[in-house]
Amino acid sequence: MLAIDSERLTKRYKGSSIAALNDVSIKVESARIFTLLGRNGAGKTTFVRMAATQLMPTFGSISVLGYDAVRQAKQVRQLISVVPQEGRPLRALTPWDHVYNWLQIRGEDKKIAKEKTEDILQKLELMQFRDRPAMNLSGGMKQKILVAMALAVDAKLLFLDEPTIGLDPVSRRQVWAAIKDWKAKGGSILLTTHYMDEAEILSDQIAIIDKGSVVAEGTIHDLRKIIPQNTRIDVAKDGLDIDMLKSYGSVVDTGAGTLRVFTFESSIRELSELALKRNLPFTVSPVTLDDVFVYLVGNLESGGQRA
Amino acid sequence: MMLPVRQAFLIAYSTGILWLRRNPSSLFFSAISPFSLLFVLFVISNGQYSQFAIAGSLVMALVGYGLALGQDISFYKTEYKIQDVFVASPVSPLTYMMGLALSELLFGLPALTVLAALVVYFGASVFNIPLIIATILLLWSSMSAMGFFLSSHMLHMRNATQVISFVNVILAVLPPVFYPIANLPDSLRYLSYAVPTTHASLMLQHSMGLPTPAEWSLGFGYAVQIAYLVGFVVLAKTKAIWRET
Repeated sequence: MLAIDSERLTKRYKGSSIAALNDVSIKVESARIFTLLGRNGAGKTTFVRMAATQLMPTFGSISVLGYDAVRQAKQVRQLISVVPQEGRPLRALTPWDHVYNWLQIRGEDKKIAKEKTEDILQKLELMQFRDRPAMNLSGGMKQKILVAMALAVDAKLLFLDEPTIGLDPVSRRQVWAAIKDWKAKGGSILLTTHYMDEAEILSDQIAIIDKGSVVAEGTIHDLRKIIPQNTRIDVAKDGLDIDMLKSYGSVVDTGAGTLRVFTFESSIRELSELALKRNLPFTVSPVTLDDVFVYLVGNLESGGQRA
Repeated sequence: MMLPVRQAFLIAYSTGILWLRRNPSSLFFSAISPFSLLFVLFVISNGQYSQFAIAGSLVMALVGYGLALGQDISFYKTEYKIQDVFVASPVSPLTYMMGLALSELLFGLPALTVLAALVVYFGASVFNIPLIIATILLLWSSMSAMGFFLSSHMLHMRNATQVISFVNVILAVLPPVFYPIANLPDSLRYLSYAVPTTHASLMLQHSMGLPTPAEWSLGFGYAVQIAYLVGFVVLAKTKAIWRET
């Protein structure tokens, strides 16, 4: 059974002439981590909110764990758990209060709720702050409380909308480990993130969304093949002839004063010498998911564009 | 305990009792405001208007605590986004509403207890205590349901605060809540019977032995209050926005 199956899912918000999400068809397999990657406003959260029964679609269909997310929302809600984007815990409540009470609200008895609360607070290293009100915790700790609430629930499908935003590198890894544990128990996850490393480490499948539409979908391996070359060279923009660079492969303006040339290993030496001759700084590295992302959607207002 | 009831109590515990345990001063601050108008009316009328002022203050407090639910809900929805967590869970909108309404009631309990005690002190017999409690529960429930309905349609916290302040004036200041209904001309008097707070105030005035109009009766008051309660709960259940559109 598919965890999520959307067909031509479209959302047009009232008063807006542009669709926030347009004709999106996605299939998320069970017991997998499916990641939506996209820039701010690309439509990731809109998709998550419709799948999580928080928002009505304008057009199209979406089923979650075999239930129609529009007509059978009640059944869907029994089986899911969410971390909302930019959510905040309640100021006066401690991490323990949030998780323990939430588990009881979700129907767990006190004994199991206590065990699960202890377990997740340990995993996310919140145990030492268990009795400290959220108002006295750092932004990262607050975010971890929301993640703990979602992960502690015995759900079949987890929606994580930018769950590690604002977390330090160590905390991010704790959250990743908890997410992987959750998946190992057979759970499915729909994740949205801006962090490419997070997507690379966690995802079984990725969809890149841009301006409300899916522009690419597949495994990390599949997505890397979108760029035919296997190497990239970032070189300072000044004084280089773009047409000349294009003879080595694809060229993307990163918008940060550098041009990114996707090329083959055989051209590295030649390009490096070219940059050295002109005294231009450059870096060489293998193609990453970040490159694929910039290659597909990097032609927007940040200044980046396919050169 | 049935799950929705347990859920409602747990929501009230989390948002009410735990908050008060860690911020006990907020109990004092939320208890003081219903007495401000009572104090002014008591002073300027040399105590002559005390009974009307007590009935009015109790009604105004109930409207305030009920509608404050709307502000809480707007806050949890737009600022904390915590409502999204509840929407995507087995908690129903009515359970969520009940939980937060109970929480608001906790904040209002000291003021409501003192005002109800003043109603008894200023003329109500102990036999009228069930009537006073019924009036309190009916008005608090219907105002909570209305607060929930209104706030669910508000996209911004500021809108919610403005609309709720406006509704507060419409329900607790303009109708004969603080003053005798006999002061109104006939046309406005009959119009005021369409407002639930008029009946709540008349029921309290009646319990304190104040004269009530010949065309009004306790049964009429109950009927209107119950009709409003059912109407607002149905409105909250069917027309409040839980899943956004």
